[in-house]
Amino acid sequence: MILLEQNNQIISEILEQKFSNVKEGGQPDKVNVNFCDFDGVYYLLSNPNGDKSKIRLSIALKFFKELQQHGADTLLQREYGSLLVTPEPQFNVTLEFDLNAIPNDYSEILRKASMLKRNCFASVFEKYFEFQEAGQEGQKRAVINYREDETMYIEAKPDRVTVIFSTLFKDPDDVIIGKVFLQEFREGRKASQTAPSVLYSLGEPPMELRDQPGARVGDNVGYITFILFPRHTNKKTRDNTIDLIHTFRDYLHYHIKCSKGYLHSRMRAKTSDFLKVLNRARPEVKMEKKTFSGRTFLAS
Amino acid sequence: MSATLAPYLDAVKSTLQAALCLEQFSSQVVERHDKPEVEVQTSKELLMTPVVVARNKLERVLIEPSVNSVRISLAIKQSDDIERILAHKFTRFMCQRADNFVILRRKPIEGYDISFLITNVHTSSMYKHKLVDFLIHFMQEIDKEISDMKLALNARARVSAEEFLKRFN
Amino acid sequence: MAGRLPACVIDCGTGYTKLGYAGNTEPQFIMPSAIAVREHGGRFAPEKGRIDDLDFFIGDEALSPAASNYSVKYPIRHGIVEDWDLMERFWEQCIFKYLRAEPEDHYFLLTEPPLNTPENREYTAEIMFETFNVPGLYIAVQAVLALAASWQSRGVDQRSLTGLVVDSGDGVTHVIPVAEGYVIGSCIKHIPIAGRDITYFIQSLLRERESGIPSEQTYEVAKAVKEQYCYVCPDILKEFIKYDTDGAKWIKTYQGVNKITKKDFSCEVGYERFLGPEIFFHPEFANADFTTPISEIIDKVIQQCPIDVRRGLYENIVLSGGSTMFKDFGRRMQRDIKRLADARIQLSETLSGGHLKAKPIEVQVVSHKMQRYAVWFGGSMLASTPEFYQVSHTKAEYMEKGPSICRHNPVFGALT
Repeated sequence: MILLEQNNQIISEILEQKFSNVKEGGQPDKVNVNFCDFDGVYYLLSNPNGDKSKIRLSIALKFFKELQQHGADTLLQREYGSLLVTPEPQFNVTLEFDLNAIPNDYSEILRKASMLKRNCFASVFEKYFEFQEAGQEGQKRAVINYREDETMYIEAKPDRVTVIFSTLFKDPDDVIIGKVFLQEFREGRKASQTAPSVLYSLGEPPMELRDQPGARVGDNVGYITFILFPRHTNKKTRDNTIDLIHTFRDYLHYHIKCSKGYLHSRMRAKTSDFLKVLNRARPEVKMEKKTFSGRTFLAS
Repeated sequence: MSATLAPYLDAVKSTLQAALCLEQFSSQVVERHDKPEVEVQTSKELLMTPVVVARNKLERVLIEPSVNSVRISLAIKQSDDIERILAHKFTRFMCQRADNFVILRRKPIEGYDISFLITNVHTSSMYKHKLVDFLIHFMQEIDKEISDMKLALNARARVSAEEFLKRFN
Repeated sequence: MAGRLPACVIDCGTGYTKLGYAGNTEPQFIMPSAIAVREHGGRFAPEKGRIDDLDFFIGDEALSPAASNYSVKYPIRHGIVEDWDLMERFWEQCIFKYLRAEPEDHYFLLTEPPLNTPENREYTAEIMFETFNVPGLYIAVQAVLALAASWQSRGVDQRSLTGLVVDSGDGVTHVIPVAEGYVIGSCIKHIPIAGRDITYFIQSLLRERESGIPSEQTYEVAKAVKEQYCYVCPDILKEFIKYDTDGAKWIKTYQGVNKITKKDFSCEVGYERFLGPEIFFHPEFANADFTTPISEIIDKVIQQCPIDVRRGLYENIVLSGGSTMFKDFGRRMQRDIKRLADARIQLSETLSGGHLKAKPIEVQVVSHKMQRYAVWFGGSMLASTPEFYQVSHTKAEYMEKGPSICRHNPVFGALT
């Protein structure tokens, strides 16, 4: 698995099971499952007021207020329409599925439901892509604190949209491995002409954010700037761009972790190699003992 | 093998061969005990002059002989941050498995990355020349492995960056 | 949700891995502990432009046609991790593909079999803290979690960490005595009879009698029969008579579809219903080499344990695993063990010439709703208590002291 998946498997699996159960004439049973997703997203699947014929999917994002300023509600309305209900307390968005009114082909609903987190994110990107298309300049920079210590900034210019991620490497070793990755991201454009250009800086914010209050500094902070051109932000390619860019942070950290796993397996192999060489220094003990019945065994 | 490596390893090899002349020696301090004198350092007369064999500023070996034990400490080449963390990760990984590496010291001496402690028990139960071979093999391989790992890490980073950027169209 | 995100609970068994978030009653994923990897000559000679070690599948996907060009491996043998490289990658996908958790944000609760080595715990910690940067880790013994899982069916004052766990999965059955949260390792017994053996036994019974079942489907039919119709009876002789006199009431029909011809077929399910699980109590039916009934083994295990915990063990025999789900399994076991215990007391009273009167032993076998995923459920329950966060080993501790901190995982939960 190189790219992370967009959809949430838990949502699709549970809903699939519940929907198909009802379609096959089974009795709906109780649901009460809480689970998470990347970026501190928290979900709850439950029955509203114990009514087993309905299932509610609620999502809580710490930064939903910030997304709302950028039109998250409109976008969700467009995507989910009648599925939306008043959010449950402590949650930001709630979808409700009536098990008695599920269409025979429910794959589309499943797909949409499992993309809930992605769609919450999408609004802010779409808004700024629109700005860029309309050539509006001077819009305020959007600031989304998508994780506790990590922030995303989006800014539109007539010819480009700049997306800047700040990310935090919790482990001191990760800072160094992360730097290798960021360097390669900068170079990566050579391999693909269609890619956005990528810049990075470690320790302090890039030029664009010099005036931004609250931009973090520190040895373990990294900034990655994606410059998206109209080819990425037009209506046709927009969805793909959003899919990719909103998972960037998780993608980066996923690969850093995988590399560490890879290093571990190399070290395991090499260590057992060294051990073999060391064990050559032990004289082979040849002690052949015979049992009563004449069989032999080697003492190790 | 580069021009300076062979003489460096030869020097280490000869020094080790000389240093690995160990004998059983009862402790002078605790009755009926037998301790690696190079570790306890209780009496000067049992310790011999430590030798540092250095290839350059970064790569060097400290060999501390004593009457019944030898401590060998290596400083591994670390020319940049990545090599530094890789060397650190690797040596820690090995120390974690020190039980299997009978001669590995669980903690390196300060200023070095990894230490071995060979006692008279080891030399009497194992071939001395093979022990030296192991140490030389280790010195050769660790540098190679670390630079290989560094290359592999870079390659991985490149592939994952390219894979990600390729998806934009 | 107040602040903290729920912990991830991963229970890796020999056959199946159960994973999910703490606080739920069921694991979110149950998948075979299998990993399908590409085999190639030089292990570290990847082709250019590819990352070979990310090219693999785990769980059900590993056994699906998508992975047909891959070779399937099982990194866990007899409950203990054998191949750490594969295990590390297995966890990688568990976390990133299935749970979709950023491991830096969640505490982790992993399980281990009784008698796991401390080194293995260190290796686990090394992977979890160094590769995944988890903020906290707790490694729990499966049997202790199974004990904890039985708490929810009982009053708070009865929450005890002393008890005997009978864990029966697909491959093997274990009898594990636990005293105050610590496994009495020397007294563990394994019984070579478990779910798979029952299925084989039913399969052979069906094969002898029923001719309508397609031969390549007999195993699946037997498994379905086992799961749907089997129960434990108090007395086989009486049960046989019941079936013979009033067959219509007891004999069921199983309906199936032939996978190849797509035609329906049906077969009768008769004595199998109670004979299947009966092999726990009469193993000689199915296995000529092993003839000790499960109740006798349990009694023997308890007798081997230190004398001061024996009563506690008799009072708290906890079932866990799918093969203990048969109706009345617990009740039958309780009765049989009680008989053995009473007989022993009787004997000692006679031997004393009637001078000594022993206090009768109370035997209680605990069945509860969460039996099937008891280990996972126990983990989920404990990991959602505030105490869990106090006893877990943290990343900061790990950085300071190293992997050896995970050698010991304090027992907790009994007093809350």
